[in-house]
Amino acid sequence: MNHQSINPLPDQAAGMTRRTLAKMHTRQRLLGAARRLFTSRGYDAATIRDIASEADLSTGAVFASFSDKADLFNEVIIADCESLFQAMSNVAEGASVAETLLALLGLGYSLHQDQLPLTQAALGFSWVRDQKHEARYRRVAKLVLNRLAEVLTAGVERGELSSELDVPLTCEMLLDSYLCNYRKAIFDGWDTATLRARLQDQIGVLLAGYRAAA
Amino acid sequence: MGARQASKQATRERVLAAARDLFEEIGYEATTIRMVAQRAEVSVGSVFTSFSGKAELLSQVMQDRLDALYAELEQMARHLRGSTADRLRSVMAVHYGFETRRVRLFVVYIGASFVWETGQTVIPLGRNARLRAMLADILRAGIERGEVRPDADIDTFVDTVLAAYMWNYRLAPQEGADAQAMIAVMDRQIGLLFDGVAARPA
Repeated sequence: MNHQSINPLPDQAAGMTRRTLAKMHTRQRLLGAARRLFTSRGYDAATIRDIASEADLSTGAVFASFSDKADLFNEVIIADCESLFQAMSNVAEGASVAETLLALLGLGYSLHQDQLPLTQAALGFSWVRDQKHEARYRRVAKLVLNRLAEVLTAGVERGELSSELDVPLTCEMLLDSYLCNYRKAIFDGWDTATLRARLQDQIGVLLAGYRAAA
Repeated sequence: MGARQASKQATRERVLAAARDLFEEIGYEATTIRMVAQRAEVSVGSVFTSFSGKAELLSQVMQDRLDALYAELEQMARHLRGSTADRLRSVMAVHYGFETRRVRLFVVYIGASFVWETGQTVIPLGRNARLRAMLADILRAGIERGEVRPDADIDTFVDTVLAAYMWNYRLAPQEGADAQAMIAVMDRQIGLLFDGVAARPA
């Protein structure tokens, strides 16, 4: 991985001042508490006071790291997106582009299956968050999109897919389908396996026009 | 309709118009029933006579818009010409053209629809049923005309178009995209998908 991580991993902590480390740990505690409360109570019902209490910190500590509840929620979403990206880096190349794409995005479904209320709130929030929060989120989401692009590009280079493939457009549409499928999980109770099966079909139709001639 | 019925209907219209305007102006979270009642110049109680809450209000606002949208679509469907891909594009273009007249409202609706609890008296974001059928019909006609492969996975094709259709609306708040911009993206997306179902030349 060669991206500037927004949340430094523990092994990068060496070399940081004690104060920076302490701030980082406070932030992690708050994000963890926020995630738990946003998941169990939903966005509206979870208050800064309750989140601070859950983290065993003062509300002052919350406002030292986050400007308001929306900011905190956005950072929880971003932390999740980063976790997904990090988990994706452990996924080995599959036998085909389709298989690799399914493995990567399917990971998202697995990671979110136990926190569906949070995902639900996050998806709703993604449509109304302000420009600043949106820009911050897009920077991290780009990491995931780039990972997908790498897989597609490698497929083209290998000759598995035609060079006519519009890689950026395909990546966006993959993500659109991946995200849209959550509606099925939220409202129709689809489990991870069912979501993956649907995504597999969607990957199929997206790549169908670009399989290189045998 | 008796005077009482007419008055009740008029109140309902005013409440829905007020709700629509407030949702568009300040979003779903910030809008309260009290604000809607005030804007519509009715009591909070009379809002609750017809609507169980905010969710049902927004849902009904959007449902009422569908009649106008589908009137336009039915008009257009009679005159659909061109390749299968272009017919798909035309149907989606009408949707964008319609919804972008109140794009903020539609974006608010998409966002709110994710957080509605199942069981609330809401009509789910499933205008998809009619739109889905329309797109599937165009594809099936395409098979008959020999433009589309007979083994095309129509359901998944439609799913993927609809996911892209919905997610393109994020371009409005993010980039200030208008109907033309969103239609341009959708055109390319339909082209990409259509490459996968186009019949091989004989």
